[in-house]
Amino acid sequence: MTAQELLRRFHTAAADPKGQMKQYLEAGEKVVLTAPVYTPEEIIHSMGLVPMGAWGADVPLEGSKEYFPSFICSVMQSILELGMKGGYEGASAIVIPSLCDSLKCLGQNWKYAVPSIPFIPMTYPQNRWGTVGTSFTRAGYERVIADLEKATGAEFDPAKLTQSIKVYNAHNAAMRKVDEALAHHPEITAAQRSDLFKSAFFMKKEEHTALVEELLAALEGQEPAAGKLKVMTTGILCDSPALLDIFDDLGLHIAADDVAAQSRQYRVDCAEDGDPLDALAEKFAAMGNCSVLYDPDKKRPRTIVEQAKARGAQGVVVVLTKFCDPEEFDVPFIKRACQAAGLPVALVEIDRQMVNFEQARTLLETFRDVLE
Amino acid sequence: MLFAGIDVGSTTSKCILLRDGEIVGSALVDMGIGTAGPEEAYSQTLTAAGAGPEDIACCAATGYGRATWKGADLTISELTAHGLGNHFLFPDARTVIDIGGQDAKVIQLDADGRMANFVMNDKCAAGTGRFLEVMANVLRIPIGDLEVLAAQAEHTAPISSTCTVFAESEVISQLASGTPVADVVAGICASVASRVAALAKRSGVKEQVCMSGGVAQNGGVRRALEQALGVSIAYSPQAQMAGALGAALHACQRFHRR
Repeated sequence: MTAQELLRRFHTAAADPKGQMKQYLEAGEKVVLTAPVYTPEEIIHSMGLVPMGAWGADVPLEGSKEYFPSFICSVMQSILELGMKGGYEGASAIVIPSLCDSLKCLGQNWKYAVPSIPFIPMTYPQNRWGTVGTSFTRAGYERVIADLEKATGAEFDPAKLTQSIKVYNAHNAAMRKVDEALAHHPEITAAQRSDLFKSAFFMKKEEHTALVEELLAALEGQEPAAGKLKVMTTGILCDSPALLDIFDDLGLHIAADDVAAQSRQYRVDCAEDGDPLDALAEKFAAMGNCSVLYDPDKKRPRTIVEQAKARGAQGVVVVLTKFCDPEEFDVPFIKRACQAAGLPVALVEIDRQMVNFEQARTLLETFRDVLE
Repeated sequence: MLFAGIDVGSTTSKCILLRDGEIVGSALVDMGIGTAGPEEAYSQTLTAAGAGPEDIACCAATGYGRATWKGADLTISELTAHGLGNHFLFPDARTVIDIGGQDAKVIQLDADGRMANFVMNDKCAAGTGRFLEVMANVLRIPIGDLEVLAAQAEHTAPISSTCTVFAESEVISQLASGTPVADVVAGICASVASRVAALAKRSGVKEQVCMSGGVAQNGGVRRALEQALGVSIAYSPQAQMAGALGAALHACQRFHRR
């Protein structure tokens, strides 16, 4: 397939997760939903189940208002809304981690609002390091395994988990490689870049890895277009088609990201030897540079600056999901670090219910003027 | 050679014509995006300058309706336009506070008038011209009288700066409890100033500070902002036209760069 054909394939999966899920269900597979931000997908995969990302959608929020106050993260609200309206019908369970206060509420509300899809909590520790931290994380994984066995009838086998860890490491490597390659291909639009990352949540990782590697090969033979103005994005989500169109209309090339639903997922690999559950707990301990992962040294702002500089980004766009307090806490640190490094910063607020992007367009257009 | 700048705002349309760096025509029409306002402002400006459309070397549009007005050769964001326009009016300006009909922005300029930083308000009417319109309507007075009444105030009645709807009921409560209208108006101006001052402090306030946009004409808000920020604020009678002026300057710069 050509690069454009592959990008269309990614778009199809990213734009129609329900269709993607239907295909797996019709093939006799069982699907388990995985809520933001990090879930032990490797465990789900190793039990012969298909993990499918549940990051909500740009839908009107009606039923979910019964359970959530108005001023709370719309990602969480839209996940519940889709659950209540049958958007995830057919899924065998949903794993919801405890990484922020809103996610904790989502789990509790899910039990009552969507009783047809069992809720499986993944309780992570704040302090994830050392024996204490990793033992706590491991206990969380064991609870997920027990609940998955109950909900799906599937069985857990440590040897199979080691195999799944290898599948996920291979996918991580492919995603890191393609992310770097896209920094040199401004002709790949912001929307296409988003599709590539988003589709990874809705496809089996071995299928996705194969397509990504095919894309990498296709890009190698493709002459990059003339350079555009490079920027880096950071935030929880950056998948709104209307917002991404603005980046493309204004000639802004996303050369790097620190987005939770994109590159943050693929930074850390898991050891492939030893006890696989311990290895997964160690992987979680090694993760960082994320608003929902406690870090007393606040390394994330420095990492953003280093990454932006390494990719030649001329500015950083903070795509802030409204009412996401973990991200909001990090914004002043990110701004300060970028400004100290001479990197201009723009802040665009988004949510899952946004229909008018005129203010975002004005802001990004002005930001482009500043960068030029 | 003539260069045109048109600012299609949410409530008004403004147009300016430049020849050799001098303003030779301008017009302001009280109709904004989605109306005949932009066309009318453009034709009034041409008439004022004794020119026709064929005399315009380049025209740039700015404002909320910049993309929908078809008569422009170029578009420019309103922040960049207000930055350029204010640098032209106040060469020493480093901070531009622009309060328009439905939003507020603070722009930082460097010594060469280039935009160094900017912040925009949230999607909210509080701290904008719309807030003043709503309050003038509650008080049943022309919006132009707010400045005069604010100057007569002996005290500043406390009015919330968080929400236009809540502030509206606070104004009614103040009137019901016998607070003089002038004190209520001073409170309204202080409410806008408090909201915008917080925005300005977020981006850093460097002197010289100037005000731009329609609300700049309201001396009550200007004085309240000076108090809230602890700086004096420069003001030009052309403040409302600064966006159109910046667009015309942009048209001229781009034309010569070609």
